[in-house]
Amino acid sequence: MNDNVIECRHLTHYYGKRLIYRDLNFNVPRGRILGLLGKNGTGKTTTINILSGYLRPREGQCRIFGEELHRLTPQTRQRIALLIEGHVQYSYMTIEEIERFYAPFYPRWNRDAYYGLMEKLHVAPRQRISRMSCGQQSQVALGLILAQDAELLILDDFSMGLDPGYRRLFVEYLRDYTRAEDKTVFLTSHIIQDMEKLIDDCIIMDYGRIMVQMPVGELLSTFGRYTFSTPLPSLPDLEGCHHAQVSRGGGELFSFESPDTVAATLQHAGVPFEGLSREALNLEDAFIGLTGKY
Amino acid sequence: MEKAIFYKEWIKMRSLLPVMGIALIGVTLYALLRIDRAVTLNGAPHLWQVMLDKEVVFIEMLRFIPLIAGLLLSLTQFIPEMQHKRLKLTLHLPYPRHRMILLMAAIGLGILTLLFAVQGVVLWSYLHRLLAPELTSRALLTALPWWLAGLTLYMLCAWICVEPTRYRRGIYIVMTLGVCRMFYLSDVPQSYDGMLLWLAVLLAGVFFLPLLSVRRFKEGCQD
Repeated sequence: MNDNVIECRHLTHYYGKRLIYRDLNFNVPRGRILGLLGKNGTGKTTTINILSGYLRPREGQCRIFGEELHRLTPQTRQRIALLIEGHVQYSYMTIEEIERFYAPFYPRWNRDAYYGLMEKLHVAPRQRISRMSCGQQSQVALGLILAQDAELLILDDFSMGLDPGYRRLFVEYLRDYTRAEDKTVFLTSHIIQDMEKLIDDCIIMDYGRIMVQMPVGELLSTFGRYTFSTPLPSLPDLEGCHHAQVSRGGGELFSFESPDTVAATLQHAGVPFEGLSREALNLEDAFIGLTGKY
Repeated sequence: MEKAIFYKEWIKMRSLLPVMGIALIGVTLYALLRIDRAVTLNGAPHLWQVMLDKEVVFIEMLRFIPLIAGLLLSLTQFIPEMQHKRLKLTLHLPYPRHRMILLMAAIGLGILTLLFAVQGVVLWSYLHRLLAPELTSRALLTALPWWLAGLTLYMLCAWICVEPTRYRRGIYIVMTLGVCRMFYLSDVPQSYDGMLLWLAVLLAGVFFLPLLSVRRFKEGCQD
């Protein structure tokens, strides 16, 4: 049995003549939480739009639960909960009305999951969603997703517009729920610290390609920052090293390689150095190390 | 699920409908009041004579009311769907997508038809006591294309609202203005009698146009 919930093959997309990415391939295995990380404009939202069926890629195809995205049956859509960027919901409804509206569409609708979260918001049941704060609206959207009891959750930039408290609440609630219920999640966020607490696997995208797809634990244990002192004003291109640079006599580079291999690479390139040391990274630093600051 | 879809449409329309209903009936009663005043001043025979000689039906002030009603109801239903691309939520619901859009449109059309029917009954109730049956049906048959125009504009406006690109929306607006003009080419009472069937066919045709915009939305067309 194929255990990938999402399978994307040879995805290529352009906006007009601007290439977003070419020949993108990735899978999301069942029961995993996968985060898609990338700078602005690298194609995160494009990928989410393709996965949610609102954009047809120029080439390639994606399947969810084995079905081609543009032909998803209502039964399959019932298994997929979708969070749109900005926690968009039917904000002209009240929290009672929106629950009453969604419930008939989902046979496993969990009313208690929704109202359990709503109780934390301290809002009147008849308060219109559009009159709530951004954080409260995000909780309504999350509550609706949890109540659907879907097998796959696709969340586009779930932390957008949220203050730290609501971000933390969202992440913790989502993490506990997905772990307990063995859900598969595909998500994006601009706030990478939040992702670190939540995701099992990550895809880091650069312009036009995937740089890394691996479990977060593996990334953080193998990818490190190396610092050393060097008299050179700049560093040449070093194989297996990312974003090597010198600032005020201090060299810095990022690499998956071991300290011995990095030392050998520096020697081989004729870079004089002293005091080479390796630092472990958090996910945000690893992301910057791979994609650069600019 | 159909009940839930109806519920959503009702929530969108519930503020507008009472206002629209009162305004529609109010304007209709005002038109009838003017006829009543003319009867009081000049007598019913004079009214009949003017209707026949000058080719008027005395309810001309109502001709654009169905158009306004169709426009307002369509905007009320479909603009919220396009704000923040909320249509993504609607189309992601586990319900056949085309059926969903057609059902939403059918709900709006049904409500408009009901409002126009009430207006028609109010007109008939008053006019049939005052006029010969032929003149009553003359007035109602004159109003029928106006009602069809209201229903047609409702559908065309839904088509424009759901369209994802500004360029196409502009083209559709021009086309819509052209189509609406077709319903108002002549002021002569009953001049559309021979065309009523074709206007109904036109309405049936434009009923499916929003699906074209939904398809483009699904393909990811954007400005």
